[in-house]
Amino acid sequence: MDLSVPVLDVVIFVLMGISLMSMVRVIIGPTPEDRLIGLNLVVAQVAGILVVIAVKFDRSIYLDVALVYAILGFIGILAIAKYLRGRQLGE
Amino acid sequence: MDVFLRWKIIRIILTAAYLMVGWILFTGTLALFSIFLGVIFSFCIAFLTYNIFIEESEAARRALLPRIYLLLVYLGVLVFKIYLASFKMSLAVITANMNPRIVHFRTRLKSELARVVLANSITLTPGTLTLNLDEDHLIVHWLNAKTTHSHYAGRLIKSHFEAWLRRIWI
Amino acid sequence: MILLVYAFLGMGIFFGVLGNIGVLRFPDVYTRLQASSKCGVTSLLSIFIALMLLKGLTPMTLRILVITIFFLISSPVASHVIGRRAWEQGIAPWRKKPESRD
Repeated sequence: MDLSVPVLDVVIFVLMGISLMSMVRVIIGPTPEDRLIGLNLVVAQVAGILVVIAVKFDRSIYLDVALVYAILGFIGILAIAKYLRGRQLGE
Repeated sequence: MDVFLRWKIIRIILTAAYLMVGWILFTGTLALFSIFLGVIFSFCIAFLTYNIFIEESEAARRALLPRIYLLLVYLGVLVFKIYLASFKMSLAVITANMNPRIVHFRTRLKSELARVVLANSITLTPGTLTLNLDEDHLIVHWLNAKTTHSHYAGRLIKSHFEAWLRRIWI
Repeated sequence: MILLVYAFLGMGIFFGVLGNIGVLRFPDVYTRLQASSKCGVTSLLSIFIALMLLKGLTPMTLRILVITIFFLISSPVASHVIGRRAWEQGIAPWRKKPESRD
């Protein structure tokens, strides 16, 4: 199946724009939790960009990169949440 | 044979089986060498992590092995509900009309896995977000709250999910 | 079939943009978390479904399916962890103004 219009390019650019918009929340967020929400969105959308690129160029190696990136982003968010909790308790 | 030792061996084999399913799905081939590597690595990882994946106290058969066909139906319903939730969320974003409250309620599910799936489903259904899950006590943030009474709120939020999950796991 | 792919890609873009507007616009942590957890998941789910329909039944589809399932599990858990952090720290949820209530 072929796409006649370069729709996947449009999707990639829109996802890039959206992740930049999420970075705004990371920068201005008043509490650390707001920044984490922004980071969560950025991780998800960058993984989405990688999957779209993999389909566009037909290189399945990018899918491995996307999965590892998603896992690392998830673990990173868990680690940051844990770290913030430890700091608040004064450990 | 000691019953604890037998349970330990069953746990290791179950963890390895779950890991093996993931391996076959991700590699996408059924070549002999790939399967061989997968078996070796999943048994190594299972030997290290079986105690985290399946706790010693979870001894019911249905707590670990879900009914697959019901689980697939449940996933279909869940995807439909996710789309519904997003449409409602978009309306809330455009109109900025909301009345958020925090509600507390209890669940009657027994196994840990079923409770986690219930919490995730609540997060993905319209206007609700699980904040805390402590044993069987859930704290939920509800956009457009209709009531703060624990029992009625629980019935409105859990709706059919709890009955379905009781049939899938326990 | 190709129309279905376009429809799912369009829905993905639509929900992604709206979810981000929600995250920028809503007043407190919990409501922002609602917007991000719902719309973020739906936008990526739509895009992945569209790509799976586009590729047909190939090994690539299986891998995209694995990423989708991982995403469906990990994204609610991440927002749950963030919400729990905010709740334990005692951030008060935003309420409607009292004069407009009831």
